[in-house]
Amino acid sequence: MKSNNNRLDRKGLCLGALLAALASCTSTTVDEFRQGETGIESHESVVILGRRQASDYETRSEFVECVGERMTRGENAVSVIPEQEFIDAMFPWFEPRTAPLRTRDLEQLMAEDVVANKMNEFNIRYIVWVDGQTETTDRAGSISCTIGPGGGGCFGFGTWEDDANFDARVWDVGSLTNVGTINTDASGQSYLPALVVPIPLIARVEANACSRLASQLKEFVVGGS
Amino acid sequence: MMTRVKFRGQLSRVRGSLLLAILLLAATGCGVNNVVIQGNFPTPNVNQLPLTVAVYYDDALRDFSYIEYSETGQEEYNIASGVSHIQLFNAILPAMFSEVVVVNSLEEAQSRNVDAVFAPAIEEFQLALPAKTKLDVFEVWIKYNMRLLSAEGGYIADWVLTSYGKTPTETFRSAEAAINDAAVVALRDLASSFSLSFAQVPEVRDWLNGRGIRS
Repeated sequence: MKSNNNRLDRKGLCLGALLAALASCTSTTVDEFRQGETGIESHESVVILGRRQASDYETRSEFVECVGERMTRGENAVSVIPEQEFIDAMFPWFEPRTAPLRTRDLEQLMAEDVVANKMNEFNIRYIVWVDGQTETTDRAGSISCTIGPGGGGCFGFGTWEDDANFDARVWDVGSLTNVGTINTDASGQSYLPALVVPIPLIARVEANACSRLASQLKEFVVGGS
Repeated sequence: MMTRVKFRGQLSRVRGSLLLAILLLAATGCGVNNVVIQGNFPTPNVNQLPLTVAVYYDDALRDFSYIEYSETGQEEYNIASGVSHIQLFNAILPAMFSEVVVVNSLEEAQSRNVDAVFAPAIEEFQLALPAKTKLDVFEVWIKYNMRLLSAEGGYIADWVLTSYGKTPTETFRSAEAAINDAAVVALRDLASSFSLSFAQVPEVRDWLNGRGIRS
């Protein structure tokens, strides 16, 4: 009985490992371009904002939230102001139509007392502008599902590729300059075989892009020249 | 034997319920989808003007709704945004002017000793759905006619404002929720452009200068 259980455990482990290996087919590249010295005090904060000016896409708030949340965790954690809280407090200066597009625009914005005071209230040291999206391409295969009085099931195979590309521009609110840009490009193939029950083997492309971008950003704002 | 009869009875009841559910689903699929725009609008951080302004929301604005038709001419979405527009103006106007009073008619404003009467109107509302544009975004575009009148009803300024909002398509979000989100972005866009551009409208600027108010 014990050996049967062990065999089942081993089979389960093998299946889990196979699924994990298939599901983790994601490659991620991170490029950093530094233009100035950085550093952050314990009382200072960072705000991460999504760019929403493009006509055919907009940076998802969930991705921005994910990057911010990961920056507040682990070693060298930094204080991050939630995006919506910042935008609402700054209303109407950081809406899609009014948000500064260049550091020169930020300089003009900081000349407004209401904006400068709010920025000081939040102790914002860096504004990080995240711009990008995840695109799904190369869809192939087909799955058909049927249901009848005796039961139902799905048969077939589907596959697609996800490509996440995000740029993060870091603005120093103290010097009103762009201190660097980090680009993250992640891609991965997902599979959906269906043999009665569909088994999704999803490449965690956006999650990997979020994790790598957050780690790099944290190092960037904390770490020296 | 009794058990089998009971089981058959249950089976026919389940079939009946399933049939009813399918019929209901089919019936709702044919009807118009009602969307009542709901959102929270923050108070703008702008310099307040020392003015007492009456605001008049006419019935056309209060009851404003837009109907989007499908390609076959059927009513597809009925979007009611009158109440949310009033909520929006009630949030932004007190931040822009030192005192704001809501009046039920233009005549009432005369007796309230106000500096001006503000009467907004929606001229046009457009909705763009991903199924029609082939883009992965829901879009809302609204055109307004903003009118600023003297307490006696005379003309001060009359200008057009447009607002735009979009929201991306998401797998587990309904079209109704996406339309609501796009409309809320458009309303916030209206609030930002109205509060930032009000004193820059040439007629308004001249009127403010005439009252010794520098914007």
